[in-house]
Amino acid sequence: MVIDMHVHPIFYEGICGDPEELEFRKNTFGVWKQSPMTDEELFTVMDVGGIDRTALLALDLTTTAGGWVVTNEEVAGLRAAHPDRFYAFGSVDPHRPDALDAARHALCELKLDGLKLNTAKQKFMPCDPAAEPIYELCEKENKPIIFHAGMSWEPDTPSRYCHPLAFEDIFIRHPQLRCCLAHFAWPWVREMAMLLIKYPNVYTDTSVLYLDSPEESISRLFTQDMGPMWFERGFRNQVMFGSNNPRFRAFKIKRALDAVPMRGDARENLYSGNALRFLKGGD
Amino acid sequence: MMVVLKEISRMSKKVEEYINITDEVRSIVAQSGVKDGVVFVITAHTTTGIMVNEALPCVESDISDVLEKLVPLNAPYAHAHFLPSYGATGNNSQGHLKSMFAGNHCVFPVSGGALLAGSAQEIYLVEFDGPQLRKVFVEIMGE
Repeated sequence: MVIDMHVHPIFYEGICGDPEELEFRKNTFGVWKQSPMTDEELFTVMDVGGIDRTALLALDLTTTAGGWVVTNEEVAGLRAAHPDRFYAFGSVDPHRPDALDAARHALCELKLDGLKLNTAKQKFMPCDPAAEPIYELCEKENKPIIFHAGMSWEPDTPSRYCHPLAFEDIFIRHPQLRCCLAHFAWPWVREMAMLLIKYPNVYTDTSVLYLDSPEESISRLFTQDMGPMWFERGFRNQVMFGSNNPRFRAFKIKRALDAVPMRGDARENLYSGNALRFLKGGD
Repeated sequence: MMVVLKEISRMSKKVEEYINITDEVRSIVAQSGVKDGVVFVITAHTTTGIMVNEALPCVESDISDVLEKLVPLNAPYAHAHFLPSYGATGNNSQGHLKSMFAGNHCVFPVSGGALLAGSAQEIYLVEFDGPQLRKVFVEIMGE
């Protein structure tokens, strides 16, 4: 099985009915010149990459941008329509007055699979007290959090909010909370590796296509930014396949990963085992 | 003179795919009302091609092999970088370049209300950066 843990369903036709909303979504996320994709197109592209399931990410920017890139209800609806193909991660803006209620609604009523937070886009430091009740809730409900980490292509995203070291206190305070710092926190890959070997509840993903071709980027990540055996020896249970679609086509990231030499069980962890553990917890 | 413009829409299923659209083009020509003239078949994309050749799997694979040698997947293309106007990376230079070799259109005579072609000639929409939903313009001009 292959699970893509990082997809923004911005152009999924099922949630593109409102042109104004789509325009807000494109301008706020910073992605253009793509058209809504039908289910047939989505699943054909997934199938070409051998990708069985994807995690769809919402983003609540109520207080910083006046809206959502994708709402919790939208990802819940997409998952409900295709429960065999999608996981759904909700979001909550920690600055909104009803943040804890909104998080509880997402996790306990919509029963979303976890939360996606973007500290740069949502303008809060990871250890901001306003976010603490959300972390406590996720830990109590056994729901993981995916944080954006490292460079962001989205407009108005100061990098100081998403340096990987800014998250460390969360891992100390919440040892049972599973957190993914996405994008290998690029360009801070060494710092990310340090956090992975120090905290077993910390994960990352492979959506690191910031420069070059997929093959060049992924090869550099696994052989130069890291030692060639770091993943297998140091944190084979903590790296997940993620594409960051629609910025990058998922099957091309997968194709590049296929070319990285690694043992079969490590590859199985990378493609699905680690994602399943991240989603549900346990061994 | 009459000018009739129609579109063909096809969802490619593979990264590279040879999609035979001859029957659809013939059908559009037959329904156009144009008896004598020309038909243009033109792709709407920059990573697809319109090709005319014999519809044999061995010919398709030979064409594909030669194009792959001319334009390998992982050459150090300048286009392999983030495109701010898209908010996404290029990384489809291979498709752009194969598209140049294939060409973006073909032309056939229309005679007696039908597309006129040699017995071995078939029209392909060729996908070089699939899977994607693709569009082809078919324009018939004549009397």
